[in-house]
Amino acid sequence: MASAPPAEGAQGSPQAGAVRPLRPYVMADDPEPPPPAPQPAAPAAPAATAAPVEPSGAAETEESPSGRSSLALRPFLLTAGRVAGGSSGSSDPPLPLETQVVATAEGLSALDGLAFERQAIVAACRVPQSLAELAARLQLHLNVVRVIAGDLHSARQLAVYVPQASTAQDVSVLRRVIDGLRAVPDSRGLPRGNRPA
Amino acid sequence: MVSAPSPTPEGFRVATAPPSTAAPITPDAATYTGPGRHAAPQLRPPLPVKMVIAGGFGVGKTTTVASISEIEPLTTEASITEVAAGVDDLTHTPHKTTTTVAMDFGCITLDPTLKLYLFGTPGQDRFGFMWDDLVEGALGGLVIVDTRRLDDCFAAVDFFENRNLPFAIGVNVFDGSLNHDLDEVRWALDVSESVPLVLFDARERGSVRDALLVVLELALARAER
Repeated sequence: MASAPPAEGAQGSPQAGAVRPLRPYVMADDPEPPPPAPQPAAPAAPAATAAPVEPSGAAETEESPSGRSSLALRPFLLTAGRVAGGSSGSSDPPLPLETQVVATAEGLSALDGLAFERQAIVAACRVPQSLAELAARLQLHLNVVRVIAGDLHSARQLAVYVPQASTAQDVSVLRRVIDGLRAVPDSRGLPRGNRPA
Repeated sequence: MVSAPSPTPEGFRVATAPPSTAAPITPDAATYTGPGRHAAPQLRPPLPVKMVIAGGFGVGKTTTVASISEIEPLTTEASITEVAAGVDDLTHTPHKTTTTVAMDFGCITLDPTLKLYLFGTPGQDRFGFMWDDLVEGALGGLVIVDTRRLDDCFAAVDFFENRNLPFAIGVNVFDGSLNHDLDEVRWALDVSESVPLVLFDARERGSVRDALLVVLELALARAER
C-alpha cells in the first residue's frame, strides 16, 4: 500500500478521513481499515463541505494510485467517502438522473492531469450525456458519478446542466415531445397515423 | 449536433459553482476555445425530459424500453443505504449496509435539442422509495400490467396517484390476445375513469410509442388546465 501523503498541519491527518462513518460500503467487521481514498481532483473544492480529507491540491497526481486497488470493492472510496458532490451540499437534492454533463474546454485541457475515473468522465463527456448514461457506460455507481461530477464541476472541468422540474408542466415542451414522438416510426417504418386500418 | 453560441439553454438551471471558486460555469464557457491543447467547442446538450415505466417484476418494462430506445437499454446501479434500514430485514445479515438495485433505461433523441429518457423502475415493491428519484421532474408514467398478475402493479398505481403524476395503464398483450375485458381490468384495478387504459404490445415500437403518447396527451391536458 502506498504511504499516505504527509499532509499534517492545518489540513489534519488524512487517516482521519479513512475511518469516517460516511462510507456505506465499509463493513463493520473489516479486518483492517481500508487504504486512504484518492483525493478529489478539484483543487478548488468548496471550503464549506468541511471534508477532513480535502487535498492539498498539488499532491493529486501522486496520491491517486494509492486508492486504486480498492476500486472493485468499495465504490465510495472514489469519493473519499462523501455521498454529496462538490457543488451541492448534502442538504441539496441529488442531481436528477437525466442531468446533462459536458466537458468544458478547461476540463479537456486538464485531461492529462486527471486520474482514472475523473479522466474517464471528462473524456466521455466530450459528448453531452446524462448522469445515468455516464454511470452505465463507465460502469460506475450512479451516486459515485454524481459526487465526482459535482467535484469536476467545482473545478470548472465539467459543465452541469440541471433540468428544472417545472419543465414537466411546460406546455410548449410537452407539445414538442408529443410532436417528436409522433414522428418516431414504428417497426414497419410508419409514423403514427399511417397505420393500415 | 448543435454547437453552442448560446445563452442558457431553455429549461435548464446551470448549476452554479460554490463561491470559493471563480466565476460559475456558464454556457458562455461553451464557446471558450482558449489556449488549451485539447480545447474544442463545448457542445450544447439537449433538453432532457423523462418518463417512467413502472410495473411489477417481469411484466415487460425492459422490453418496452428496448422497443423504442435508440440505444441498447443501459443498466445503472444505485444503492440503498440507510434508507433501507427499515425496509430490508437485516436480522440475518447484520453487517449488510447496502443493497444494490439496478434500473434499466433508454433514450430517444426527438430532435437535436430534445431528448426523451425512459426509466424503468426497479421491479420489486420494496425499492419503491427509489421512485422519488425517478419521478421528480418526470413528464408522466406508464404502468405496465400483465392481466395474469394484476396485483403486481398496485404499488405503482398507488405511487403515481399519490404523487399526482399523469399516468396511463398499459395492458401488455403478450400473445396478441387478451383474456379479460378492459372494463373488467379497470374494475379490478379500481382506478378512476380519468386514468387511460390502453392495450399495447411491448415488443412493437409503434405500440409502445402510442401508449406513451396517451400519457403525454394526458399530461398536456393537465398542464393546459
